[in-house]
Amino acid sequence: MQIHDLLLRQLIIELTDPDPEKMVDNAIEQWQLIAAHIISIIGEGGFNALYDRSVILTQSTFPWLLTCELQPSAHKRFSALRASLEDQTTALASEANYLLLVNFTGILESLIGAELTTRIFRSALEETRIPIGKGVNK
Amino acid sequence: MSNKANIERLSTGVPGLDNLLGGGLPEFSFNLIVGTPGSGKTTLAHQMMFSLATPDTKALYFTVLGEPALKMLRYQQQFAFFDITKIEESIQFVHLSADLLDGGFDRVMAHIADKIKVYAPKFVFVDSFRTVARSAKENTRGDSDLPRFLQQLGMQMNSWQTTSFLIGEYVSPESETSPLFAMADGIICLSQSLHRNSMLRKIQVVKMRGQAQRSGLHTFRIDDDGVRIFPRAIVKGSISTKVAPDTAGLETRLPVGTPGLDDMLGGGLPMGYSLLAVGPSGCGKTVLATQFLAEGVRQGEPGVIAAFEKSPSQLLGNKKLYSMVEAGDVGVINTRSLDLSIDETLHDMIKMIQKMKAKRVVIDSLSGFELALAPEFSENFRGSLYRMIAELTDLRVAILMTSELEDRYTDLRFSPFGNAFLADAIIMQRYIQLAGQFKRVLSVVKVRGSAHSKDIRLFEITDDGIVIGDVLSDYNGITTGRPELDRRPKCPPDKG
Repeated sequence: MQIHDLLLRQLIIELTDPDPEKMVDNAIEQWQLIAAHIISIIGEGGFNALYDRSVILTQSTFPWLLTCELQPSAHKRFSALRASLEDQTTALASEANYLLLVNFTGILESLIGAELTTRIFRSALEETRIPIGKGVNK
Repeated sequence: MSNKANIERLSTGVPGLDNLLGGGLPEFSFNLIVGTPGSGKTTLAHQMMFSLATPDTKALYFTVLGEPALKMLRYQQQFAFFDITKIEESIQFVHLSADLLDGGFDRVMAHIADKIKVYAPKFVFVDSFRTVARSAKENTRGDSDLPRFLQQLGMQMNSWQTTSFLIGEYVSPESETSPLFAMADGIICLSQSLHRNSMLRKIQVVKMRGQAQRSGLHTFRIDDDGVRIFPRAIVKGSISTKVAPDTAGLETRLPVGTPGLDDMLGGGLPMGYSLLAVGPSGCGKTVLATQFLAEGVRQGEPGVIAAFEKSPSQLLGNKKLYSMVEAGDVGVINTRSLDLSIDETLHDMIKMIQKMKAKRVVIDSLSGFELALAPEFSENFRGSLYRMIAELTDLRVAILMTSELEDRYTDLRFSPFGNAFLADAIIMQRYIQLAGQFKRVLSVVKVRGSAHSKDIRLFEITDDGIVIGDVLSDYNGITTGRPELDRRPKCPPDKG
């Protein structure tokens, strides 16, 4: 799934944190924030459907990425993702998470347009402890 | 200083809706938007929300089971009113399904309350409320919870000083029994009326506390800009015990642009009059109409034409008309959609008349207009036309209407619809057979309140337009189509 909007693509790139110590924690935190925000707009069912599809698309490149039913509890929601990422090297985990984000936003972009998707993401990630803008350019 | 509560009226941003509401939406009102699926409720709600919401007056839009929120965002974005920059900043979408599935009105109420406390909106929308009521009923203790919930919701919305909208699929028999309808300050009902193969969208403001809303059903359209409402034209006017002829118009006369015809009309067409040019196909009605507009342009009077029989390219194939339109002296009403409502057409005409400050209006032709109308209006064409002419003459414009009337030489008619009485003046154009050829004749049948020529004159259509010829004073039976020379000896003029 491609992201056609340049701003959105840049936003996804900026989310990637190369710090090996905190990479998985930060990735999960970002996903939790994104999930909470998007669920508030489109509901749990809506988010789960988008996320599941994103995982399936990402698995074509990273088949070790686990799929299982998302837990409704905010803390346990991405336990399968955490387990999958922690089993890999930082570089590989970072690449897989990046692709997962790309696929997720790409699907959303195709449904509701790039501008609205960017708006929602920026609004969601304003709460993250990792400021947007730090990351490795890809 | 007045001690009464000051109810501010908010402009909804939906063309025509403020008029129906009686001046706008009352602030802090609790409103229902109801109608069948596909009637336009969500679009209307979004259009109002995007118009009303600002960073200082935010809006919360609660979505429930029904139209998936993603789909709603996807499709509503297609409308011009959907301003993406307002999302998050002035408008927030919130999904409520989880609370309903988990149980209870109380949970829903708590979630709504929490969101409102944090976001502090001025406008709240719940879409669809019918789903909230239905789902919560299935989960809880029974019907008795619903009135309690409604009352609590209404009180909370009021105390939070929000103007709120509940959107739901209700049909009218249910509305009579639901407590929600008694509680609501305003009820806006949308419908799609099917008549034969034609569909008309209609809106009704069933109730609006504290102000006089416009009663009855009014047509509306949904296009790329969203909802556009065409309030039904209602003929104004008071019944006076004094009968005083309106002579003001007679004093000011407009030249009609055909040399000789002004004299036949008694000095031109009185200002504010409607003129009906009636005759069979090809007899020159449109030529007459074009000359009428051209004369107006020469006099510095812009014009408007609503042509129902020709496509825009056919219409503008008329070089004289084309040049006037290109120069901006004549406006053309686009009338190619079918299933028109009389109110929509009238609305477009009035808008263009006011925009151009037009003094002359042409409707070419009434026959085509009847065909373009939705069956509901064409079946009552006389009534529809009556309302339209009354509204237009109120604007003090001169109206020229053409009407096709097939030549029947056995009777004398001036209108196929029986509405010749609506026109202040009538010009009849006919074909006659003379010396082995079809000739055209015209006559002024009527000019209300004014003397006019009784002559039946030949006329020709030339490259320069209509040229009026001689009176057929030597013939009898002209209206039979086959005039005969009057061979009776003529009385010599009195020399005494």
